[in-house]
Amino acid sequence: MKNRIVLLSIFVSTMMVAGCISEAIEDSVNGDTTNPEEYVWEDDGELVIVTYDVYGLTDAMLSEFENQTGYEINLMKLDDAGSVLSHLMQHKGVQIADLAIGLDNTYLQTAIDNQLLWKHFANISNIKSEALAPYNGPLAAPFDHGYMCLNYDTEMVDGENLTIPTSLWDLTNGEWNGKVAIPSPETSSPGRAFMTATVDYFANDEDNQTDWKDWWTAMSANDAIITTGWSEAYETHYTGGYGEYTEGYVGDAHMVVSYCHSPGVESWYNGNWTKSAALDLPRAAFHQVEYASAVEGGNLDAASAFIEYLLTEEVNTKMPTENFMYSVLNDTDLPEDGGYRYHSTVPTMAASVSANDIALNMESWLEDWNDAMVAA
Amino acid sequence: MNSKNIGLFAVFIYTLLVLVPLWLALDRLIWIAGYDVIDWIQSLERNFVSEGAFEFTLLQATISTVATLTIGIPIAWQLGRYKWPHDYLIRSILTMPFVMPSIVAAMGFLHLIGENGLDIRSDQSTWFATLIVAHAWFNLSLVIRFCEPVLSTLDPQMEEQMLLLPAGKTKFGRFRNLWFPLMMPSIAAAACMTFVFSFTSFALVRWITLGENTLESMMASIGSSAGINGYMISRNDIILGSSLIQFTILLLSLWLMSTLQHKRQSRLPKASESIVKKENSAGWFIVLPAIIFAISPLITLVVSSFRIRESSASGTSYSWSTAGWEYAFTSTNSLPSAWDALFNSLGYALVALLIALPLGWVLAQYICDLEKVRPRLARMLDVFTMLPFAVSSVMIGLGVMLGMIRINAEFFYSLWLTPALAHVMITTPFVVRIILPALRSIDPMYDECARTLGISKFRRFFTIKVPMLRGSILIATIFTLAMSMGEFGASWVVTRNSDWTTLPIMIDSLRSIPYNNSLTAPAANAVASVLMLIALLLFISTEKFRPRRDGGMF
Repeated sequence: MKNRIVLLSIFVSTMMVAGCISEAIEDSVNGDTTNPEEYVWEDDGELVIVTYDVYGLTDAMLSEFENQTGYEINLMKLDDAGSVLSHLMQHKGVQIADLAIGLDNTYLQTAIDNQLLWKHFANISNIKSEALAPYNGPLAAPFDHGYMCLNYDTEMVDGENLTIPTSLWDLTNGEWNGKVAIPSPETSSPGRAFMTATVDYFANDEDNQTDWKDWWTAMSANDAIITTGWSEAYETHYTGGYGEYTEGYVGDAHMVVSYCHSPGVESWYNGNWTKSAALDLPRAAFHQVEYASAVEGGNLDAASAFIEYLLTEEVNTKMPTENFMYSVLNDTDLPEDGGYRYHSTVPTMAASVSANDIALNMESWLEDWNDAMVAA
Repeated sequence: MNSKNIGLFAVFIYTLLVLVPLWLALDRLIWIAGYDVIDWIQSLERNFVSEGAFEFTLLQATISTVATLTIGIPIAWQLGRYKWPHDYLIRSILTMPFVMPSIVAAMGFLHLIGENGLDIRSDQSTWFATLIVAHAWFNLSLVIRFCEPVLSTLDPQMEEQMLLLPAGKTKFGRFRNLWFPLMMPSIAAAACMTFVFSFTSFALVRWITLGENTLESMMASIGSSAGINGYMISRNDIILGSSLIQFTILLLSLWLMSTLQHKRQSRLPKASESIVKKENSAGWFIVLPAIIFAISPLITLVVSSFRIRESSASGTSYSWSTAGWEYAFTSTNSLPSAWDALFNSLGYALVALLIALPLGWVLAQYICDLEKVRPRLARMLDVFTMLPFAVSSVMIGLGVMLGMIRINAEFFYSLWLTPALAHVMITTPFVVRIILPALRSIDPMYDECARTLGISKFRRFFTIKVPMLRGSILIATIFTLAMSMGEFGASWVVTRNSDWTTLPIMIDSLRSIPYNNSLTAPAANAVASVLMLIALLLFISTEKFRPRRDGGMF
């Protein structure tokens, strides 16, 4: 009997200690926010960057920064932009990273609202007004941008095998069953961008009976391929891109959510040839801007230095070829060679959703999207 | 300290290390999600990410179990009833897949079905079957280990006597009245374990059946956004719901398994293997394919680590090169080198061993001591040490991440040891399970004898207990090392937000690099080959110390 009491009391007391600790943590997390004037940080000579697979962060480019500044870079690569935000949210008040790279204009506001970012003091100028349109402030610096579009395989979508859609509703037809790959808005930033575009698209179409949620329900019922991230949608499922030259290729989708300039990248790689094309439907494209942001509590010196470096002409003008995105600097465009610019589409009319609308509604849109997908 | 106090201290440490992180994690998830248990379960069908995951998990685990038995029983029969040249080697080859880390199996099968292998990968309808076959490959050894000892030592007189009885005249009659009742407990126990492993499958599902998730892989994919107040709240419901379902089902299977284990220890007339076993050359038609099946994913893996794909619009060609190995073993800014991963993996395995082995041993000793004086309390503690078996490794990972790291994130992130904690949580229960039966089987006479001779406690421990437990200690040691080295689920959750990587996680991240880099697959396979080799070495060393006829899973 005595033994049992001792055992039980050990168990109960450890659990109580655990409970107290977790309550103490919850209190500290819910508490104070720092005013910009009260930033306190220590320059430890190290820069921890939390990011996902951003191609532009090449080894050469990172080493160059290390050589120039003496900072040691430590890269923490997560799965996607959603994981970057989750990571920052998880570690609110106890951040490990100094700099977050890859939050875009669909994610940024959540990070700002949750006081996860600090004002950087990088000296940046010469940035296109287009790239500053969604957000223009010190909490985030745009470093690349581009438009999200539906891409299609012109060899399959040739009017015979499959007709070129003239409306998003066409994709809910039987001929497209299981042939459209879309990254999930819950986990990927291209997915989020595309979902946001559909909100605007269906709010402005002639049909008042149905809305964007109905379209997603119909897409779900039509077996649209929803992937975790962009690369699975584009590489594994899409028949029009470089995926077919890679291992693990499945090739069951002839339509995919990617960038309006993705066919340009394909062409540039293949020596001025591509079978992929962007579908230019009014309001079905979304202007995406990606940001670099100093993380609260991090090494603000190092973070600001890197932001400045990222926006130097030398680094940023390489965005189209290193990162496959537009540079954010004034007077820059995609290169002409290899048909890069020729095969890239600039959408005639992108979806217009204000940063404010995105910030206010993103959470509820995601819930609606989830409900719409499950309703199918 | 007397032995009782040491025992209580071990219980305290175990509670602290193993249960507190899980408790903290649950506490946090519940704090956000609320206490509505029904709502947790219902949230699975309310959310797109989790919709259908339970059905898929149950379906694939059930079919995997049936498939494993279908493939495994004939092989166990051949091995058990007939003589084979080099039968020790054959048995080792066929039981080896069980120690292979799941991520190694995933990479192996991915290449086996890829365009250099069977070339069926691009056909999505084959994915489910591939997963089932991979699970069967993995769990085959369970069927062999559980069933073969019963078959190989049964006195042939039993069957001869059956032949004379009316119920044993036909083959079917003998099957129904002799073999079936005889083997049922073993088959059922193997089925239970196979079901448990398939039910919580993660690495194989993650890589083979894209777009379909088990509860385990789904929890892993949403885990990073769990436990955040006011953000993606539904994630917390989903995780609580799935882990509750997992816990219930795993606990049921484990309970069934332990009940069956008791039944298996029946007293049957036994005979020497040399009397039981006969020649059977036709059996090669089963044994040979089985051997090929067991080794082909691994051979493919090594070979493909040297195959570099060159492709462009003009076509695809392959060349032989060590570039994949060089890529994996070179450190860059975005990827640590495989040397780092190897170093971490070895380090964590050693730390896990240093903590789990003594802790598990003392716990086992305490249970064993209690059994004599307070059997019910001993049984309670026994079950208590088994609890982590019913918690999947992703949940353990979430426990470490949410629980421990929340206590002091900065401290735990700067602590290289943190991931080893998850490994301790996973391996300690196994140590208890391996050491406990061995402790029970030691006749107390030895100790009493030594005591009457006036030999000190210290010397009795080292001259009697340690030598008698030697085999079990070695198996526990090697098993702990192997489990830690190959651990995927928990590490995947814990190490992704940190600087440290382990071999299994590195394989996964290499393979996740966008495929326009032609070295990703060969590099992932190179690291997988290293991990496979380590597992193989560990396996060969256990085989040496394994009691010939234990019939257990370890």
